[in-house]
Amino acid sequence: MALADFLATLDSLAQEAETAFLAVGDVVALENARVDFLGAKAGKLRQVQKGLGSVTPAEKPAAGMRFNEVKNLVESAFATAQARLSSATPESRESVDVTLPGKPRRVGHLHPITQTIRSMKEIMGRLGFTAVEGPEIEDEWHNFEALNIPLVHPARDPLENFYLGVAKDPPAEAGSPGPFLLRSQTSTVQIRVMESTLPPVRIISLGRVYRPDTADATHYPMFHQIEGLLVDRGVTMADLKSVLRMFCQSYFGGEDEVHIRFRPSFFPFTEPSVEVDMNWRDAQGNAGWMEMGGAGMVDPNVLRAVGYDPEEVTGFAFGLGVERVCMRQHGITDIRALYQNDVRFLEQF
Amino acid sequence: MIVSWNWLKEYVALPMTVEQLTDRLTLSGLNLEGFLPVGDDVAIDVEVTSNRPDCLGHLGIAREVSVLWERALKIPAAKPQAMGSEVSQITSVTVECPDLCPRYTARVIRGVKIGPSPKWLADRLRTLGIGVINNVVDISNYVMLECGQPLHTFDFAKLAGKKIIVRRARAGEKFEAINHQVYELAADTCVIADAERAVALAGVMGGADTEVSETTTDLLIEAAAFAQLSVRNTTRHFNLHSPSSYRFERVLDPEGVDWASRRCAELILELAGGQLAAGVIDVGQALPPRNQVKLRFKQIERILGIRIVDERVRNILTALGCEETHACGECVKVVPPSWRADLSREIDLVEEVARIHGYDEIPEDAGVKMVASTRTAEDRVLDQVRDSMVAQGFDEAMTLSAVDKEWVATFQPWSSAEPLTTGTPVLRRANSLRQSLLPSLLAARRTNETLSNSDIELFEIANVYLPTTAGLPDQRRMLGITSGHSFLELKGVIEVLAATVAPGTELSARADDAPFFESGQGAELKLGGKLLGYLGVVSQAAREQFELRSDTIVAEIDLGLLVSAAVLVRRAKELSPYPPVARDLNLVVDEKVRWADVEHIVRWGCGELLERLTFQEEYRSTEKLGPGKKSMLFSIQLRSKTGTLTNEEADKIRETVVKSLGIELGGQLRA
Repeated sequence: MALADFLATLDSLAQEAETAFLAVGDVVALENARVDFLGAKAGKLRQVQKGLGSVTPAEKPAAGMRFNEVKNLVESAFATAQARLSSATPESRESVDVTLPGKPRRVGHLHPITQTIRSMKEIMGRLGFTAVEGPEIEDEWHNFEALNIPLVHPARDPLENFYLGVAKDPPAEAGSPGPFLLRSQTSTVQIRVMESTLPPVRIISLGRVYRPDTADATHYPMFHQIEGLLVDRGVTMADLKSVLRMFCQSYFGGEDEVHIRFRPSFFPFTEPSVEVDMNWRDAQGNAGWMEMGGAGMVDPNVLRAVGYDPEEVTGFAFGLGVERVCMRQHGITDIRALYQNDVRFLEQF
Repeated sequence: MIVSWNWLKEYVALPMTVEQLTDRLTLSGLNLEGFLPVGDDVAIDVEVTSNRPDCLGHLGIAREVSVLWERALKIPAAKPQAMGSEVSQITSVTVECPDLCPRYTARVIRGVKIGPSPKWLADRLRTLGIGVINNVVDISNYVMLECGQPLHTFDFAKLAGKKIIVRRARAGEKFEAINHQVYELAADTCVIADAERAVALAGVMGGADTEVSETTTDLLIEAAAFAQLSVRNTTRHFNLHSPSSYRFERVLDPEGVDWASRRCAELILELAGGQLAAGVIDVGQALPPRNQVKLRFKQIERILGIRIVDERVRNILTALGCEETHACGECVKVVPPSWRADLSREIDLVEEVARIHGYDEIPEDAGVKMVASTRTAEDRVLDQVRDSMVAQGFDEAMTLSAVDKEWVATFQPWSSAEPLTTGTPVLRRANSLRQSLLPSLLAARRTNETLSNSDIELFEIANVYLPTTAGLPDQRRMLGITSGHSFLELKGVIEVLAATVAPGTELSARADDAPFFESGQGAELKLGGKLLGYLGVVSQAAREQFELRSDTIVAEIDLGLLVSAAVLVRRAKELSPYPPVARDLNLVVDEKVRWADVEHIVRWGCGELLERLTFQEEYRSTEKLGPGKKSMLFSIQLRSKTGTLTNEEADKIRETVVKSLGIELGGQLRA
C-alpha cells in the first residue's frame, strides 16, 4: 500500500470515529462504538494497523507516527463520550449537597510572637543582618559590665534582676565566674559576638529576656527582644535612622510613607541614646507617633570592652520589644494571653 | 518631675504655648508624660532620665528652655544676711563615715516664727501635688524642687547636745521617722544623729522627735551629699521612697550644696523671720577641679552623619554651662558645669550638641551599605520544625522558662542535678529553671481542659537549663509536644518530622520505663543511633499531679541533634522508569516478636529492590491464631532500577523473606 493511501484511510477513520462517539446517547451505544473502533481483535483501528505492514520500510516511521496520533485521537473521543455519559446519567451517582460543610484537615498555628519574630528577622535579613542567639543565663560581665552598666547603676539592683542560686547549695566552685542571672536584655549576645568576631559586625540578636515585673495586662516577667547591631568603619546615626526607617516601612508601611523620629534618651551601652518613634495611622485615620524602642550609637566603652578601637570603628544598636509590636498589630490587649496558651486564642493567628 | 508653668517663668521667659514648650522639650530629652491646668497654673509632667538629675529642679529645666529658645536664665543670688554669732560657736558637725557622707553643711537660724506659707509658695507646691505644711518645711521642699538638692530642717532645740554626728547606725538601733513608724536599723545604714540618738535617715527621711513644729523657734538647716548606693539601700530596705531619696540616688551637683543652703536660709529669713548665724559649717573634702573635655569637630560628623558648624557647636556647649578653655579649627575644649556629672567624655559632648541641635536634622535616607546576610543551619531547621508541626495540626505554645520546683522531678530525663533556681520566683511559685518543657505543656493542657477546649494539640520550642559544675549552664533547645491522640499517631508525627528535616537517618525506638510514662507505654527515641528524645503516654500519677482528665501523649525531642542531622540541601535520585510489584504478607508470630525484628529481616531479605514497606495492622485471636500469637499484616513494594520485575521474581523474593522470617522469628504465613 502506498503511504498516501494508508494516511487517507487513517484520516477517514479518525473522522468516522469522532462522529460516531459524538453521536452515542447511552452506555450500550458507547460500548458498541468502542468495540467497533477500539476492539482488540476486530476493531477498525486494529484493522488499519495491519496495513502498516505493507508500507515500505522507508515510509514506516511517518506512517507509525500518524497511526499513533489517530489512535490517541480515537481513544480520547471515547473517553470524552464516556465522561459525558457518566456525568449526564443522574442515577449513576448520588448528587452532593454542595452546601454541606467540608471535612477540613486540622492545621496548627504558629504563636503570634513567633510570627512577629519571623517577619522581623526576615526583613532584617533583607537589610543584611544575620540573626544570632545566645545563652539566656548570663554572667555579670556580659549582662552588665561589658555593656557599660557599672555596679552603682540602678539596673544592677538584685531586686531588678533574677539572680540564680541553686536549690541545695553546692560547695562554691573555685574560680567560678558567677553570680549568674537570667539575662535582662539580648545585648548580651551582641557582646558575645563582638568578643569573638572582628568588625564588621551586622547582626540581630533575639530571644527571651527576664525582668522582675509583676504580671499585669502590659507586663510579664518574661518577654522577647530583638536587637540590631552594626559596627563598621564610618557607621553613623544617619545610617541608624535609615535602617530603622526601612525596617518600619517594610514591616508596617503598606502604602503609607513611614518616617522615623528620635527623642533623646539614656541607655548605658549607647551614646547618643534615643527613643525611636515611627509615624502611625490607625484604622480611623488618626495619625500619631508610635514608640518602637530604644537605639543609639554604641558607647565607646562598650567597643573597648570587646577589644574594638572606637577611633577605628563606630556602630549603632537598637532594640525592639517584640510583644509590644505583636500586641499592637494583632489587637491583643493583655500580654498574659500570649503565655496562657488557650487554643482558642492561638487559633486566631 | 512635675513642673509649674508659673514657677518656671521666674527663671526664664516663656514666649511659647505649653504645647510648643512640651513638644520641644520632648525632642530634646525631657519626655512629656502629660500636663493639666491647676488653678491659674499648669502642671507639666516630664520624664527625667537617670543621667540628668540636674533636671530634677525647676532651675535645671529652665536652663534647658533658655538654651533651646536662646533666652537669658535668671538664677537667684541666694545671699542671706547673717546677723548672729558664728555658727561654729552654736553647734558642731562630725562626720564619722565620709564614705557615706562626703559633705555635710549646717546653718542655724534662731527666732523663726512658724506659720502658714504665703499663697504664691503654697500654690506652687500644690501645682506639683506636694503637701503644704508650714512655712519652714514648705521652704525646704521648695528649694529642693527649685534646684534639685534635698534639704532637711531640724528643730535645733531638740537636738541633744546641740550637735550633729553623721555615722553608721548601731545594730538594732531604733528610729522613729516623721511618719511615726519605728524602724530597727541595720548596722550599715547612714544616719544623722545628735549626741544621743539617730534623728534622721540620711537623705531619706527625718525623725519625729526633731521635726519642725508649731513651737519651733530655732532651726538647723542641713544640706549635704550622701553616697548613692547607701541611700538606695536604705530606701529599698525600708521601702521608704521620698523625693529626697529619689534625688540622692542620682549624682547631684556637688557644688550646689551650699547654694541650696543659702537659698533656704534666705527664704526662711524672708518668710519666717529669725536671725541667721554667721557662716556655715562645711565638713568635707575640698572638691577636686573639674576635668576639661576635648571635642574634635570631626567627631560630630563621624558619629551623627551630619555636619554642624563649629560656631553652633561651641555656642550650644557654652549655653549649657560649659566653660570654654580652648577653641581652634580642629577642636574645642570645655570644662563641663558642676551639675552635669554626665559630661566627662567627648562622646557626651557629641550627644549634647546633637540633642540641642535636633535629631530631626539627621537624615533618614542615608545610603546604607548593602551586604549579604546568612541564615544559620539552626535557624533554618527550626523553621522547618515549626512548619512541619503546624502542618501536622499542632498549635504553638509559649510557656515560662521557670517552673514550680516540684515539676522538675516529674520528668527529668536530661539531667539528675537539682534545678537552678532564681532568688525571687519569676512568677508565683516558679523559681526553678526547667529541665524539660513537658510539665509546662501539661499545665497548658490543663488550662485548656478547664476552658472546655477540645483538640488540645500543642508544641513548644524552647530551652531547658541543665546545671553544670563550672561555667554557664548547659542550655539545650527542645521540642515538646502534647497530644490527645494515640502513642502511634504521635510517633508518626515525629517520624514525619525526622523525615522532613533529616531524611535518610534512621529513627528507632525502644521501650523506656520512666515513671512519667504509663507502664509499657513509654519509649526512648534514637536518631542515627544517638539519643533524640522520649515519647509516651503520661502516667496516671503525672496526670493527677497536673489535674488532667483525659489521656495525654507527650514527646520531647532534642533539637540540637536534629539540627546536626539535618540535610539542608537535598540531592535528586534517579527514579526507576519500571513498574513496581506489590506483595502482601500476613505473618503469624509469637507475642514477644517486635515489628522492628520483622522489619529488619524484610529489609535485609528484599535488599535494594524494596521500595516501600508498609505495616498495616496487628491482629490477636486465641481462637483463630492460638494462644500467645499475633498476626502482622504488611505489604512490600518492590521495584528494580534495571528492568520490569516479573511476578515470578517478586514471588521468589517473597518466599526468601518468608523463609527467613520462619527461621529467625518462627513466623508463619497465616493460612
